Amino acid sequence: MTALQRTLTVVLLNLTLAASLTAADDRVQFNRDVRPILSDHCFACHGFDQKKREAGLRLDVAEGAYADLDGHRAVVPERLDDSELWRRVISDDFDEVMPPEDFGKPLSSEQKDVLKRWIEQGAEYQQHWSFVVPQKPDVPDIDGATNPIDAFLQKRLQAEGLTASELADRTTLIRRVTLDLTGLPPTIAEVDAFLADKSSDAYGKLVERLQERVTYGEHMARYWLDLARYADTHGLHLDNERSMWPYRDWVVRAINDNLPFDEFTRWQLAGDLLHEPTRDQLVASGFNRCNVSTSEGGSIAEEWIYRYAVDRTTTAIEVWMGLTAGCAVCHDHKFDPLSMHDYYSMYAFFHSAADPAMDGNKIDTPPILKLTRPEDEQRLKELDQKIAIVESRITELVTAYEYTDPTTQSPQPTEQTIETVWFEDGFPASTNPEATGAPLKIVSKPDGQVFSGNSAISRTASNAIGQDFYHGGAEFTVPKNGRLFAWCYLDPNDTPDTIMLQFHVGGWNRRVVWGNVDRIPWGKPDTPEKFHMGELPAVGEWVRLEIDPTKLNLKAGTKIGGYAFTQFGGTVNWDRLGVVTTTNPTTDPAWSFAVWKQQNQGKRNNDLPEGLRQLVRGKQADQWTPEEADRVFHFWLKTFYGGLRDEIGLLEAEKTPFDREKSDIEKAAPITMVMADLPQSRESFVMLSGAYNRPGGKVARGVPAFLPQLAAKPADRDYNRLDLADWLVSGQHPLTARVTVNRIWQQFFGTGLVKTSWDFGSQGESPSHPELLDWLATQLVDDGWDMKKFVRRIVTSHAYRQSSRVTPELLERDPENRLLARGPRYRLDAEVLRDQALFVSGLLVPTVGGKGVKPYQPPNIWEPVGFGNSNTRYYKQDSGDALYRRSLYTFLKRTAPPPFMASFDAPNREQSCARRGRSNTPLQALQLMNDIQHVEAAREFASRILKEGGESAEERIRWGWRVVTSRQPVAEELAVVKRTLDRYHDRYAADADAAAQLIAYGESRADSELAPAELAAYTLVANLLLNLDEAVSRN
Amino acid sequence: MHPILEAQQFQTRRQFFLGAGLKVGGIALAGLMGAQRASADDAVHPALPGLPHFPPKATRLIYLHMNGAPSQLDLFDHKPGLQEHFDKDLPESVRNNQRITTMTSGQARLPVAPSMFKFKQCGEGGIWMSELVPHMHEIADEIAMIKTVHTDAINHDPACTFVMTGSEVPGKPSLGSWLSYGLGSESNDLPAFVVFTPTFPKESQAQALFTRMWSSGFLPSKYDGVALRGTGDPVLYVRNPPGVLRSDRRAMLDALGELNQRNFDRFGDPETLTRISQYEMAFRMQASVPELTDLSGESKETLEMYGENVQTPGTYASSAILARRLIERGVRVVQVLHRGWDQHNRLPKLMKGQCDDVDQPTAALLKDLKQRGLLEDTLVVFGGEFGRTVYSQGTLTKDNYGRDHHPRNFCMWMAGGGIKRGVTHGETDDFSYNIAENPVHLNDLNATILHCLGIDDRRFTYSFQGLEQRLTGVEETHIVEEILA
Repeated sequence: MTALQRTLTVVLLNLTLAASLTAADDRVQFNRDVRPILSDHCFACHGFDQKKREAGLRLDVAEGAYADLDGHRAVVPERLDDSELWRRVISDDFDEVMPPEDFGKPLSSEQKDVLKRWIEQGAEYQQHWSFVVPQKPDVPDIDGATNPIDAFLQKRLQAEGLTASELADRTTLIRRVTLDLTGLPPTIAEVDAFLADKSSDAYGKLVERLQERVTYGEHMARYWLDLARYADTHGLHLDNERSMWPYRDWVVRAINDNLPFDEFTRWQLAGDLLHEPTRDQLVASGFNRCNVSTSEGGSIAEEWIYRYAVDRTTTAIEVWMGLTAGCAVCHDHKFDPLSMHDYYSMYAFFHSAADPAMDGNKIDTPPILKLTRPEDEQRLKELDQKIAIVESRITELVTAYEYTDPTTQSPQPTEQTIETVWFEDGFPASTNPEATGAPLKIVSKPDGQVFSGNSAISRTASNAIGQDFYHGGAEFTVPKNGRLFAWCYLDPNDTPDTIMLQFHVGGWNRRVVWGNVDRIPWGKPDTPEKFHMGELPAVGEWVRLEIDPTKLNLKAGTKIGGYAFTQFGGTVNWDRLGVVTTTNPTTDPAWSFAVWKQQNQGKRNNDLPEGLRQLVRGKQADQWTPEEADRVFHFWLKTFYGGLRDEIGLLEAEKTPFDREKSDIEKAAPITMVMADLPQSRESFVMLSGAYNRPGGKVARGVPAFLPQLAAKPADRDYNRLDLADWLVSGQHPLTARVTVNRIWQQFFGTGLVKTSWDFGSQGESPSHPELLDWLATQLVDDGWDMKKFVRRIVTSHAYRQSSRVTPELLERDPENRLLARGPRYRLDAEVLRDQALFVSGLLVPTVGGKGVKPYQPPNIWEPVGFGNSNTRYYKQDSGDALYRRSLYTFLKRTAPPPFMASFDAPNREQSCARRGRSNTPLQALQLMNDIQHVEAAREFASRILKEGGESAEERIRWGWRVVTSRQPVAEELAVVKRTLDRYHDRYAADADAAAQLIAYGESRADSELAPAELAAYTLVANLLLNLDEAVSRN
Repeated sequence: MHPILEAQQFQTRRQFFLGAGLKVGGIALAGLMGAQRASADDAVHPALPGLPHFPPKATRLIYLHMNGAPSQLDLFDHKPGLQEHFDKDLPESVRNNQRITTMTSGQARLPVAPSMFKFKQCGEGGIWMSELVPHMHEIADEIAMIKTVHTDAINHDPACTFVMTGSEVPGKPSLGSWLSYGLGSESNDLPAFVVFTPTFPKESQAQALFTRMWSSGFLPSKYDGVALRGTGDPVLYVRNPPGVLRSDRRAMLDALGELNQRNFDRFGDPETLTRISQYEMAFRMQASVPELTDLSGESKETLEMYGENVQTPGTYASSAILARRLIERGVRVVQVLHRGWDQHNRLPKLMKGQCDDVDQPTAALLKDLKQRGLLEDTLVVFGGEFGRTVYSQGTLTKDNYGRDHHPRNFCMWMAGGGIKRGVTHGETDDFSYNIAENPVHLNDLNATILHCLGIDDRRFTYSFQGLEQRLTGVEETHIVEEILA
């Protein structure tokens, strides 16, 4: 056969199929037969778009086609000769013929014939099929077809004179369905159990088991995340990290919990608008925050507010309505009745989103939700209780305190010295004292030197630094005019070289030192870090050491969170540390409430909490109610009063660790971006030519006129996204259910019943099985949008379970398998290929959820493209478990996606994607053969083969083959692999270095029990098995 | 039916026939190795039926993209009159209330910054060039300078996306992907569309690149540009793992081919046969890529022409010579994306570094192509994503200034197949702020590129999302006839 003959054959065969797909009876149907022709060849100039309409003629509606235009009527039903359209179509006059030659889309003779017959038969118009609410058709009565899906399919097959294939064998079937439902292959044990289960519902039970696995949701979620354009970076310019993964994990959970699709829709489009939304509902609303965003310097805010709203609108229309709304951004849709006004009415639902035009290059562009873990929630509750207990003790202390204002005392007190003790007999009870050197030693009279109270510290440090200290658990405040003091006793028989006191103010950074200044090396000399006080004090007696706090840069009000008694060498006893201050209580606001009131009256005091601040500032003290006066007074006692400060300080210090833990938990809580609207809606306009700065007519929130209308508008508010969501899932929407079932169908059969799963408009393809599509759509609604049930319906059908074997005749008849006379067969997705390799090797770490991980990636994927300041410029590969997580959890940087995803057609999530391609390229081959993660997986798989596969080479090959394909190899296959294995055995036995290199590839270590040459040989065999066409495809 | 699906089906069908007729085993396939150029019947990257639309002047494209937007005012758009306007406000009549970025819209003044660099007219055609690009002076008679290119976007991300995909919104195929989709490639051992992202001076202000600038968008992903990398594997995963020799891989592929053939016999899926041939192509690439990057066969004169960096993998100079080697081997499109051209401040100093990086290798590439007779049917394009403002951003002194983004006019040049030599097209006003005559929108420029390659941009479409999508958008386009030879 020559090339030309072959071409002709192919073309002819294709024509046969095209004819057979449109098929059966003679009567022309507008939607099926005529609309595609008009849409493709005429609507661009004679369609819905007013602006581009030529000669005032529109052919998309009957009124337009029948209209009398200057004595001509384009279409006169049943009267071919009077129909101007026909005259123009068959004209051979260059100026008259339609479509015009320069339009470049001439009609074929078949198409002309369709138009001719249509006019002759009455030129009936139908509304476009997908805009008509589906009515549930009767299920055809077909012998043996228990699943309605098969009844519809077989009716068609019978009409075509074809038959469905026999069921696939059970090993093929379990591999197919396990991969399709969980994204992972079955284990040998699972295959054996299934083969052994002879019960009639063995398959049904298998499906149910698979749907119960958490891996079900992980796998199914991927498809939705393609639609939602989920990723871990903002996507534009710097392309910095964003925290959105709780949304990804919610999708997995929602699918596993089988959240009905109507709820799934409401939560995502309007979770934030639900009544008292749950955390999950808010997380789900992040669907509308998955769009790309920018923070590029110089950007103009209105432009980006506009673009984000356009992205959200277009995405919602594509995902739920299967319409390509993008055209109507700039002009009325040429082919579908979607006007700009319709588009911008829907856009108005999204145009008031509260997120900013500039994402700030932040991980947490508002609005966000912080998600604490359930176990942390419990802990937070406990902490709140503990904090509350301490606070109630403070309140008790304050309310029970008998206070007399010094100004009211008689006689009035004069200036007095007030000593506050921080250490006496021991460290504060709430602290955990620590020591350098021997453990803390407390001596009491009469065994040792004590200055006051019952006991003192005694420490001996022989020729080394020794110290006793605490940090945390108690906090002291430096008072005004205060002087620090401490008492020490130096042993005359064992004098230290140096003594030191240290104070903790956010760190150990305040020190005073006596004696040899160099002995203790900490701190910069002559600064508050190390202030030299002079020679050692007298030995053999108690000496009071006094320190001016200003030398240590300690100001009134500074909080001291710890102190240390430190020495170098010798024996030192320490006792009674504190602060002394001189004040006149009758004029000091820390002692007299009357004075404080007087000083603060009418002023803004930022130390006061909201509420009290306004009260003190805005209302004369003598006008306070008794209750108000009490609140101010108690707050003063608690916060400012010198007589309680240290007692309360101790209590506050008890609280400090709880406060700190609470804030740590809150800081560690994952963040997810959520949807919210501005309190005041933006006005929305039709944007002329889709330009952000060319507003046209104002629009109100609404839906296209050619679709069912929204529910009645609530009296007290405008329509919102929840109304839009409700409208989509009302069950009366002609598109939502059809689009949804079609996409799932596409997932399991490779192609949708409507092949253009992203376009249900008139430019899209008509369904191959319209009645089946309508039956599935209406049934989904009847089933309460139960998605697991719907999936079961598909995978239990004969159509799904039949063999994918194709004969050349059938391939020619139906190359795309639209009639489903055979089972679906296609290459596995990017994620499944990687997960499968990890799974069979035993490397897969099945942890569910969490922040995106960074597995193996070749150098220079991010770096050559990343912006200088981007926080995703440098790829820092993770190690350990994170290398082996399911691909769903791989960190997705949109401007430089992971090669294992990009090479296998995974979208980069810059925009919504309803269907991935399935390319077949040499780069894929290189990756599966040579990528470190595949080679490492092959080695670990080889280890398993050696350890679990049996003793002989043959047993081992059989075992490995089964793990990958689920089936036994035939003798010839076995022989090919054995021959290859033998070759590699020889090769690596002769080259120990090569063997060592190969098995050392990857972060995990090869099993050292195994002989390197043998492991290396099996590694390449495992690599071969994982590259089999059968391994990378699902049959 | 969809043109691409038709083509694919045709292809798989053809392979199906081949496969059914011949026994395609490892040994038979091994015999195919070494074929450098494909005959029409077994092309790995076939052209679409009906393409090119008409006999092309150029059959290959090298696109040199200076990412970040080089200043036209300091390279090619000579405005001697500006010296008198030093530090004077840009006249309102010139600015005419046009949109400017929010980086300078808050500036109290927009003071004019004349270029500090000397210009001269080069070659017989007298094309103006500044002293920053002395080597380009020598190729002035090979190129057509367009001074009036303009674009829609005012910021890098959308503008880079636009210059490479014809749309500001991500998701459209890149120019190179369109070409490899339409024209395929003559090389069976290398990808049809190869991309370089070379190193650039450390101190430069580098804007990001995006893989969408060479991705296939809504076209099948096999039309993605393949990055040829300076470090690590030149093509991802092209090297066998450590301890694995080429002969080991051959043995594996022999077994794989045989087993896959059996699988084809069982299921009859034509994709299986495609897979067999793609694995063989992968194997050939494992030899052809190292051969490509091995410069030991280049003459001393040639290497010297490109400058000393040519021997350092990952540099612009190295990318330039590899571009020529790829073209020689039948690759359809080579795109070099050099970063660091975003001079908001310290422009004179930083531009110097940028030009030092690209000037000599760019000139060398043109001369090299010419001396090998390749320039006559290779189209070379040089430019950025937009231009820069005449007014200074930030500090302005005689020898220090910065320039903000300016989408309203900038310079690009083209050379080679189909292009007039030594001409200048278009003129801007005295401030290089507005176009005075002959505007060339980027869509027009892309239409012109396609035209040189034998493609009518109006007829080169792909149906996606209900629209006949084009590289050059929906509006009318105009081929820049004035620069066509």
